[in-house]
Amino acid sequence: MTTTVVQPPADERVATTGRLRRLLIRPEIGALFGAIVVLVFFSILSDTFRSADGVANWLDPASTLGIMAVAVGLLMIGGEFDLSAGVQTGTAALTVAILSTKYHVNVWLAILIALGLALAIGYFNGIVVTRTKLPSFIITLGTFLGLQGINLGLTKALTGTVLVSGLANEGGFTSAHFLFASSVKFGSHLFHVSIVWWILLTIAASYLLLRSRFGNWIFASGGDDLAARNVGVPADRTKIQLFMGVSVAAWLVGTIGVLRFNGVQASQGIGQELIYIVAAVIGGCLLTGGYGSVVGASLGALIFGMVSQGIVYVHWDNNWFKLFLGVMLLIAVLANTYLRRYAERSRR
Amino acid sequence: MSPRRCWLALLAVLLLAAVGCSNELDTGLTNTGNQQVQLKKKEDLSFAVVSHGAPGDSFWTVVKNGAEQAGKDLGVKVSYQASGGDAAVQSQLIDAAVNQKVDGLVVSMANPDALKASIERAVNAGIPVVTINSGQDKSAEFGALMHIGQDEVVAGKGAGEKLKEAGVTKMLCVIQEAGNVGLEQRCAGAKDGLGGSTENLQVEGSNTAQVESTIQAKLQADKSINGILVLGPIIAGPAIQAVQAAGSQAKIATFDLSGEAIQAIEQGKMLFAVDQQQFLQGYLPIQFLELYATNLNTVGGGQPVLTGPGYVTKDNAAQVASLATGGTR
Amino acid sequence: MTKTTAPLLEVRNISKFFGSVISLKDVSTVVRAGQVTCVLGDNGAGKSTFIKALAGVHEPDEGELLMDGAPLKLDSPRDALDRGIATVYQDLAMIPLMAIWRNFFLGSEPTKGWGPLRRFDVEKAKKITRSEMGDMGIDIRDPDQPVGTLSGGERQSVAIARAVHFGARLLILDEPTSALGVKQAGVVLRYIAQARDRGLGVIFITHNPHHAYPIGNRFLVLKRGRSLGDFAKSEISREELTRLMAGGAELEDLAHELHEGGVEEAAAELESEARELGV
Repeated sequence: MTTTVVQPPADERVATTGRLRRLLIRPEIGALFGAIVVLVFFSILSDTFRSADGVANWLDPASTLGIMAVAVGLLMIGGEFDLSAGVQTGTAALTVAILSTKYHVNVWLAILIALGLALAIGYFNGIVVTRTKLPSFIITLGTFLGLQGINLGLTKALTGTVLVSGLANEGGFTSAHFLFASSVKFGSHLFHVSIVWWILLTIAASYLLLRSRFGNWIFASGGDDLAARNVGVPADRTKIQLFMGVSVAAWLVGTIGVLRFNGVQASQGIGQELIYIVAAVIGGCLLTGGYGSVVGASLGALIFGMVSQGIVYVHWDNNWFKLFLGVMLLIAVLANTYLRRYAERSRR
Repeated sequence: MSPRRCWLALLAVLLLAAVGCSNELDTGLTNTGNQQVQLKKKEDLSFAVVSHGAPGDSFWTVVKNGAEQAGKDLGVKVSYQASGGDAAVQSQLIDAAVNQKVDGLVVSMANPDALKASIERAVNAGIPVVTINSGQDKSAEFGALMHIGQDEVVAGKGAGEKLKEAGVTKMLCVIQEAGNVGLEQRCAGAKDGLGGSTENLQVEGSNTAQVESTIQAKLQADKSINGILVLGPIIAGPAIQAVQAAGSQAKIATFDLSGEAIQAIEQGKMLFAVDQQQFLQGYLPIQFLELYATNLNTVGGGQPVLTGPGYVTKDNAAQVASLATGGTR
Repeated sequence: MTKTTAPLLEVRNISKFFGSVISLKDVSTVVRAGQVTCVLGDNGAGKSTFIKALAGVHEPDEGELLMDGAPLKLDSPRDALDRGIATVYQDLAMIPLMAIWRNFFLGSEPTKGWGPLRRFDVEKAKKITRSEMGDMGIDIRDPDQPVGTLSGGERQSVAIARAVHFGARLLILDEPTSALGVKQAGVVLRYIAQARDRGLGVIFITHNPHHAYPIGNRFLVLKRGRSLGDFAKSEISREELTRLMAGGAELEDLAHELHEGGVEEAAAELESEARELGV
């Protein structure tokens, strides 16, 4: 057996252009540009936007959206969609709220039960998608409708109302509130702790995607799950775990919300599922799977937060928000595509 | 440095830069409960209205018109934001208004507990708050100056009594917006006023076709229903159609007005409408906040200022109709 | 390598049925380490079923497989891989959007650390990818390149290098040259020779006898699921192999029929073709 190894020639030209190209080819680069542009734009037009309180204000919606965008983005890279992600935040919040206010279960125990329920729903989504091999879009649409009905019907049946509140009076509330819904003080400025959860989750998920075996499996399952299976990657198990990941993120967002607002409406989360996908796509995740970035999805959520509050700070009509979002989405997708093609071409 | 740490560092730098960039609000939002209110000149005043309604909703557009009309009449700036029923969005919009240091805040509280923190923050920052439309019970507790609106239980009771006078013995109360405490209160009041038998029916307000078929199904299933109370004018049209389609003799009444509803009353297809005069819920808060900012006036003596119930019946429908086309009723 | 040692893989009379369809019937051949056995046949001959039986995807309904003389039963593709049988499919089991180093180690990622800190050893993966590809004679300047940007021949080489690196003892290549141009095909044949020279046994599936003959030591010809013969190189010439595959005997019958039907020119043409094929 030959032991000579061919050493590739050291070519400094290749190294430097390589680094620039490697930067441009990163999936999150489009979202980063977008975030900087939006930040600069609104900061120039409004000093309140760039004040500490302003920053805390637009990081607020960005954080809860970001937690979901990260999980949904991972699932998209793995090649699947979950349309029930939004309504699951409501299911988790309602579980905590009803168990603690109506049945006087300790808030912590209610939170744990909600987590168990979330894992079960995620597992259900995953198992049905992988066994039937039907598009996840359709399967999770079914879950979405089912949960929408259950959230409303069961809440009405058990509590007689559609707005469950009063958690603050139950045991375990104060400590749970501290962990999930308190605010971090910087001077006189309050930043919601959900921002910390969001950042921690982004770091953990990005590490998982880029530096672990499981992350390699996620890319493979989304890129070509048949080829992946042929080399021994457990594609089905990976996807099921990703669906469960989305459910856990939904549980976290639901728990944060119910503790912060001391209650929940039965209709919570419905309609948000597409926004999560938009944030992930702005962040570079392909709809067809196999490619994308967790940091990008978080940046997409950040853009969303900045724009939704920024529009208020510059006194524009709130109705233009949806138009802005649509334009933003198109620009981000086009930018991502062209940047990647340019970087590919310059390689040859 | 690995790419991941690069992004983290960048994010941290951006955040710190943003925080560092401003010193203006460092002394701003501390508890000013006992501080003297700084009187201002009318031209400098700006007020924010943050409602729980959906953008473009016909009811809330009249509120918006009221607020903006007051702004024009008084020469003050008014901004109206609709949160679409999401409490988290509404609290973030309130926080934004507080950051912009508005001179007064007008909030409708469909979900009072969820807004408590943001409203108290506004109050602590020295911003006077007026609550409108919903959340009357918690208004004073949160530190608002006053509440302007309609007491839903009182209005409901009035509606129930009027239906009773018209001979209704079994009533359907149609709720079109999940999670709205005010709507539930209307039905509760109506049940009390009617004295007879009442059943609440939940429908999806945004899907009028589904509303009509649901009501129709209910009428066909239970022939003893002889009265329908709807809680929003959007539902009036489908309810009238449902009654016709089911061949029922049920009498219909609604809360709140729309051109269509007024026309139906004129034509005798609907008995009456309970009018909470939401134009006033937009106009009056701005007027009262302006007076508070320039002259330290308070209104109401600790009691809510009631804008309803008024009743639009066949007698006054025609006149109200012409006003409604202007977007003020 | 004497004939007394057991062959790396022996296929004895395997058959595979799908319902009433006979996909394979009584097929036998042998593969030795350091040698190439070519499996030839036109489309529909049963070549892909044959590969799948060896790769652990299907279990043969009749007959048996023997590895190093001992009976072999494969439960799954993972099982086959664990025993050193590496299959390179026509679609290559390469994921175009992923980098070369990610594809190289897919399913067998090297890790460092343990417990919750166990992570994919990315530096090691990139380093090994470069050196293994270098061993095959390919200079991959940037292992981060997505596999989709490589040419067809380069992709084949990555797949082969991967199989070789992970200690495959038997390499099964499913029509590696079929979608390639002449020059690229030549390059891939060279990689196959390299793998063979490193002591692997190779099963090379193709429908092109001109690619098979130069590199093969043994030839199995399949037709409609049955074996037309299993020959050592010394037992058959290139022309005979081609004729066997092209179905020369049938051409002769057809020419005869055309003669009888009075279509003289066509018949004459067919006859001359059959002669060229060495009938």
